[in-house]
Amino acid sequence: MRRNTKRVIAFSLAAVTALSLTACGGSSSSGSSSGSADSGAAETAAAASEGDVTITFSWWGGDSRHEATEAAIAAFEAKYPNIHVTPEYGAWSGWEEKQSLNIVGGNAADVMQINWNWIESYSNNGANFVDLNAYNEVLDLSQFPSSSLEQCVAGGKQVAVPISLTGRLFYWNKTTFDEVGVDIPTDEASLLAAGAAFKAYDDSYYPLALGEYDRMIFIVHYLESKYGKAWVENGELQYSEEEITEAMDFITKLEEEHVIPTISVLSGDMADSLDKNSKWIDGKYAGILEWDSSATKYKQAVEESTNKPGQEFVIGEPLDFGDYNGGFTKISMAFAISATSEHPYESAQLIEFLLNDPEGVEICSTERGIPCSAAAVAVLEEKGLGDELVMEANAQVLEHNGFPLDSMFEHNDLKASPDGVYYKVFGKLSTGDYTSADAAAALIKGINELLEQ
Amino acid sequence: MQKKQGLSRVIAENTGFIFIIPWLIGFLLFKVYPFASSLYYSFTNYDLFSGISKTGLMNYQQIFTDEDIVRAFLVTGKYALFDVPLKLIFALFIAYILNFKLKGVNFFRTAYYIPSILGGSIAIAILWRAVFNTEGLINSVLSIFGIPAINWMADGNTALFVIILLRIWQFGSSMVIFLAALKGVSEDLYEAASLDGASKWTQFFQITVPIITPVIFYNLITQLCQAFQEFNGPYLVTKGGPNGATTLISMLIYNNAFLRHKMGMASAQAWVLFVITTILTTIAFVSQKKWVYYADEDGR
Repeated sequence: MRRNTKRVIAFSLAAVTALSLTACGGSSSSGSSSGSADSGAAETAAAASEGDVTITFSWWGGDSRHEATEAAIAAFEAKYPNIHVTPEYGAWSGWEEKQSLNIVGGNAADVMQINWNWIESYSNNGANFVDLNAYNEVLDLSQFPSSSLEQCVAGGKQVAVPISLTGRLFYWNKTTFDEVGVDIPTDEASLLAAGAAFKAYDDSYYPLALGEYDRMIFIVHYLESKYGKAWVENGELQYSEEEITEAMDFITKLEEEHVIPTISVLSGDMADSLDKNSKWIDGKYAGILEWDSSATKYKQAVEESTNKPGQEFVIGEPLDFGDYNGGFTKISMAFAISATSEHPYESAQLIEFLLNDPEGVEICSTERGIPCSAAAVAVLEEKGLGDELVMEANAQVLEHNGFPLDSMFEHNDLKASPDGVYYKVFGKLSTGDYTSADAAAALIKGINELLEQ
Repeated sequence: MQKKQGLSRVIAENTGFIFIIPWLIGFLLFKVYPFASSLYYSFTNYDLFSGISKTGLMNYQQIFTDEDIVRAFLVTGKYALFDVPLKLIFALFIAYILNFKLKGVNFFRTAYYIPSILGGSIAIAILWRAVFNTEGLINSVLSIFGIPAINWMADGNTALFVIILLRIWQFGSSMVIFLAALKGVSEDLYEAASLDGASKWTQFFQITVPIITPVIFYNLITQLCQAFQEFNGPYLVTKGGPNGATTLISMLIYNNAFLRHKMGMASAQAWVLFVITTILTTIAFVSQKKWVYYADEDGR
């Protein structure tokens, strides 16, 4: 009897395993498209599905974006009772790894909030996303500037619709500058003067803090201001080794003159990011070069400091390094519909609701930056909505940062920590392992290798 | 009827085998197949998004010529070299103390085991940063005695020490195994040694250590393998810095596989790591003839 029971259990286990493995195989094979299978989805499915449908929507962000987006989804579901939206969201950390694997594995959400460089990295020349032109019946693309729409084209398809434009600008902790008794910098001379004043005040205080990637953006800003050329244009780096060496010399000078802390000092803070760094929070680092859309979190960090509450956070004037307005503007993020979506029509309706519909725009406000959509901007202006600080920062970026950004600038071969080119070059420059000339040569080599791929 | 009997006989004779079929299928599909395919991919430029367009030794060529990759392997070796013996010594030391009949010893056993349960989590990373950052707990304590603050990330060696310490702190699992082994050492041996006038140290090195060498050997092998695969500590606490001084090879494998989707290169790096670990494990196995004593083998 006991022997029979053992046999039954053994058979059951084997059968269950075999069945579950078969199920795994089936599911994986049916969903293993990396886009090619659905490249024609846009042409064949530009019509509403019948009956109730469920679509998935993925995005990353902070709590306030999550809350606003969930409220917008509820309003969308009320407006379209036959469409149910399943949200998938989280923080940025680890998000790209997860979503890129979802795309290649055919498990991507129907509607995806994507980073602009994902079009280059993950669209597989447009095959992994739906052509949004096929859904112009429900998605009004005429609301978006054509120059921005063109930056979301891959393989001749409109694979994404831009949500907002962004750029970096300088923010300062005015309270600290007042405490030290020096003016907020506006050019190279005042930047160096601030370094000297901060050092004299307390050598653990610095007027500006720049990590490795910030330094890369800073030298682009510096060089563009000086020479009036975009960093990369038509797939080619526009700067010579001498010019980049000069920018590296400038970075070293800023460290030596106590304008910016060394990478070693920043690493010693062991903070995930500057807004979580106690030295920024308590005013010891008094300046940053950050995205316009991030202004609020940096402002909150200093205003809500436990040790030094109520510090004043201000947007700085662009630093004048030459005859040109340096700095770039880029699409901060976009919405795309996965090529594996079974309901692209309803997905397009959701995008339309979030980006152009007055109700959706009002709820989402400036949670994803200042919208590209003219209809959305009109709604925000009419109702006086949006974070004033972000709007002011965005206005400065759009007015001042005139250069375009090549999508490869943010490629993980360059940007990834700790083995991306930017991290290695600026880390070694800061420790003295590289001279400025070595750093320039290594940076050029890394960028050219990527551009030639 | 005969057929049915035949089937029953086959089942009866292979019941054990049938029981392990589920595990065997899982093992072949989820271990052996990925293992073998990664070897193949290591000789290709396999990219998850663009597939394979080139085959050859280019990945291995790059691994042995790129100074940053070579450095990551050397840092990993250095990490394991310090981490494994220090962790074993510390775990054995604590186990030895907890083997005495102390008051509240069960509480201490549990307390010392807790860090191992926590593992390399985000919470631990935050704790470690709070302890070791320039304005952290250690520097606050040092400042009380007028000692200037230490920037643990200013130097590669001190930064490496920070993440080695994180793993040593998680000594609980090794400690429990040592504790079980220590409990297996007969009290009679200690009594006899005491009568002969042997000190506690002599008893420890002449009785305890030789008897538990199989367990030391087991812990050495498992800790060695784990140290070479360490990822969480440097990823969460030091982020591979400063200037690559704590960039272990596992971080490069992760970035290549999941950020850049270069599965060919990630597989090649994983295979080199596997070969190094295998060589060291083999050396350990060969050397055990000289220092590991099994009681059931003619006193060895």
